[in-house]
Amino acid sequence: MSKESTSDVMLDCYEVSKNFGGLQALNDVNLKVKHNTIHSLIGPNGAGKSTLLNVITGMITPTHGSVVFDDKPMLDLSPHEINQLGLAKVFQTPAIFPEMTLIKNVCIPALAARDGAFKLNMFQKAGMKSIESFAEETLEEVGLKDSVHKEARFLSRGDKRRLELAICLAHRPKMLLLDEPTAGMARHETENTILLLRKIADRGMTMVIVEHDMNVVFALSETISVLAQGTIIAEGTPDEVKGNPKVIEAYLGEEQE
Amino acid sequence: MEYVVSILKKFPLTVFSLVILTMPFWFPWIGGYGGLATKIMIWALFALGFDILLGFTGYLSFGHAIFFGVSAYATGLMFKHFSDEIIPAMIVAVVVGTLASVIIGYLTLKKSGIYFSILTLAFGEMLHSSALSTFGSFTGGENGLTLPDMIPSMLGIEMRGEIMFYMTALVLILGFYIARRIGDSPFGLILKAIKSNQERLEYTGIDVQKYKLGAFVISAVFASVAGSLMVVYEPYVGTEYLRWSTSGNLVLMSVMGGVGTLIGPIIGAAFMLYFENVLSVPLGEEWLLVLGLIFMAIVIFLPGGFTDGFKLIYKKLFGNKADGEEK
Amino acid sequence: MNYLFLQVLTGLQISALYMLIALGLTLIFGTLGVVNFAHGALFMLGAYFAVVISDAFGFNVALVAVPILLFVVGIILERGLIRFFYERSHTDQILVTFGLAIVIGEVLKTIYGANNLPFAKPSWGSGIVKLHEYLPFLEGFVAYPKWRLILVVVSFSTVAALFLLLQFTRFGLIVRAGMRDSQMLAFLGVNITRRFTIVFGIGAVIAAIAGLFGGPITQVEPELGMKLLIPSFLVVVVGGMGSLPGAVLASLLFGMALSFTAKYAEIQQIIIYLLAVVILLVRPRGLMGKKGLME
Repeated sequence: MSKESTSDVMLDCYEVSKNFGGLQALNDVNLKVKHNTIHSLIGPNGAGKSTLLNVITGMITPTHGSVVFDDKPMLDLSPHEINQLGLAKVFQTPAIFPEMTLIKNVCIPALAARDGAFKLNMFQKAGMKSIESFAEETLEEVGLKDSVHKEARFLSRGDKRRLELAICLAHRPKMLLLDEPTAGMARHETENTILLLRKIADRGMTMVIVEHDMNVVFALSETISVLAQGTIIAEGTPDEVKGNPKVIEAYLGEEQE
Repeated sequence: MEYVVSILKKFPLTVFSLVILTMPFWFPWIGGYGGLATKIMIWALFALGFDILLGFTGYLSFGHAIFFGVSAYATGLMFKHFSDEIIPAMIVAVVVGTLASVIIGYLTLKKSGIYFSILTLAFGEMLHSSALSTFGSFTGGENGLTLPDMIPSMLGIEMRGEIMFYMTALVLILGFYIARRIGDSPFGLILKAIKSNQERLEYTGIDVQKYKLGAFVISAVFASVAGSLMVVYEPYVGTEYLRWSTSGNLVLMSVMGGVGTLIGPIIGAAFMLYFENVLSVPLGEEWLLVLGLIFMAIVIFLPGGFTDGFKLIYKKLFGNKADGEEK
Repeated sequence: MNYLFLQVLTGLQISALYMLIALGLTLIFGTLGVVNFAHGALFMLGAYFAVVISDAFGFNVALVAVPILLFVVGIILERGLIRFFYERSHTDQILVTFGLAIVIGEVLKTIYGANNLPFAKPSWGSGIVKLHEYLPFLEGFVAYPKWRLILVVVSFSTVAALFLLLQFTRFGLIVRAGMRDSQMLAFLGVNITRRFTIVFGIGAVIAAIAGLFGGPITQVEPELGMKLLIPSFLVVVVGGMGSLPGAVLASLLFGMALSFTAKYAEIQQIIIYLLAVVILLVRPRGLMGKKGLME
């Protein structure tokens, strides 16, 4: 790796392979995500997108290869350590704390950001004020200001996703990983989400998005990587990818054969 | 009535202390007696600590008798071989109980709560059988550890009767205060998040394992203090203190009272001991059967226990004003 | 040689009972996802039914009647109680089955008292077997209680029958698939609910067999359920939650450990717990547990 690329690249997956008992889910995948860009990962079902995402977040260990985030190697780190390094994941089905109020939902990552992965602050009430006001600001940012004291389980599905985004943002990550952020959303909700993500990205957030909805992908991405059968078959700007015959083949190939 | 509730909400600790400290006056009206009140204090403390684990994190331990029993044995052995002063005995007992909880917590707290429930149960039985036979020479084996004619004392004051009651009552009030503070703290918030969604928490930069261990050890400290007080109250250590049924009784009272509320398990402890000692007279041998049926009915129909029941009744009677109350 | 052989035989006999109880537990857990704290109580119920029925009508009647009774009890419990808990948390499942265990124990205590009920073996099962007459490698006179040999045979036959059922029938195929991924099967339109009920019933039948044949060598008293449930749980965990071969392997291991430490009571009392701790430290998912599950 050359010197200049280290400063420019935020996430670097190098020759990542994953073998599930004979099934080659990922085959020498190289992926470089640059600072302050939105990088989308697309590909047909079963191409290995989720596997790659799970490797990056530490949920599964690759058979070989390396993942470097912000110049730090990430393999063998547990999910919370990866998160503490500044990488937050938005799950496909909203992962929130359903029995808690929205504000408490967001206070937790804020505490994790302030106090680290573990702190035995059993009696401190002090300092909670600033955490709470920060949590409120974050909720306002994603458009949930009106329901801060509502229990999270009563939110609509779209709002649950917003809440999860707020949970991820409250940790002030350097990079967001989003697994199908608009899956199951109505058209207007999808558009709101695009606007929201754009707004967050414009303030200097790096994002990796796995998405099926091509409208979302083309509206947001600076770079697109196309994954098929466990390898990256194309990479480039939306326009470059759009016209790439390999990509068309990957999406249509199975049906022609 | 609303006025009463508003006072409860505003000064929960004061109300709690008043109810507890006046117990010697009102408890006999409903058939209670002094010694039973002391025993209720001790079990309430045990259940209160248990709620920090079960109520907050959702991890159901079937082995909390370990800490109660180990600490009871430590206290008994200190009385037997060292002195009848309770302060050194209790300190040693709590240290021993806490150490045991660190080791057992480390071994049993996995991601799955099922695993935890089964393994804590197994550890409990391991210690129970080892107290019966392996370490029988220290523990007195099946007869338990007998301490004939011994009256524990604190700084020369004999611990019995009303003095013992007020001492345990004060410890319980202190425990209630501490538990509430923990519940309101950032630490408590994260413990509650474990119950709500452990996976999200891991992906939120929290070292969940350490928090779980923290909750487990804190609850074990409460259990150790309770176990030690039990021997101060009644200078004898029965092998049943380590038995699964002790852990089981703790689970029964906590769930019946209502987990996660702190006051619930205390009410549950009082209810269960009252049931066992007072109501068992008219019910006879079948009292445990009745209790088991009540327990099952609560698990099935009212998972929030008595405290949830009170809230529902209050809501029915006085409209929806009790919404979102947190006691 | 004689010593070794007898120790192994005793080990087999001890594991036979654990195996039967653990088999039912792990079958129910693997298929229904429910940790059944009342399983020991079902076993105990089997033993009580066996005593009562064989006193009245003879053991041979009990042999037929008790499994049928327990199957019915199992079905009623699953339909009337357990199924309402599939959607609730594991904690609630444990709590309700724990409550059930207490209630069953207390009912038995109320009816039959807290003391041990004498369990008379049938005439064809009592007495001893002179093993040296059949096994030429044994020296001198070697005898073993007949009933204990029967228990071993019954236990292993039950294991074999269960394996055959799961391996070679359509019912077994669906149940095994359900153990791997129940949601997938529901998508495919397979009616799992009914099969869940039957699985619970089968679990209860295995408990009945354990009660019938185990009853005469344990004591039939209201504490029996919990006494055997705890080591059986360990068998399940050490074998790997939900793994039937694991349960067999772990019960053999425990049986042998208990048999070979019999001379040292202090060690025997805790040997299985020590073994479990060591195994789970080295291999948290258990001997044959699925990766990822329970770790």
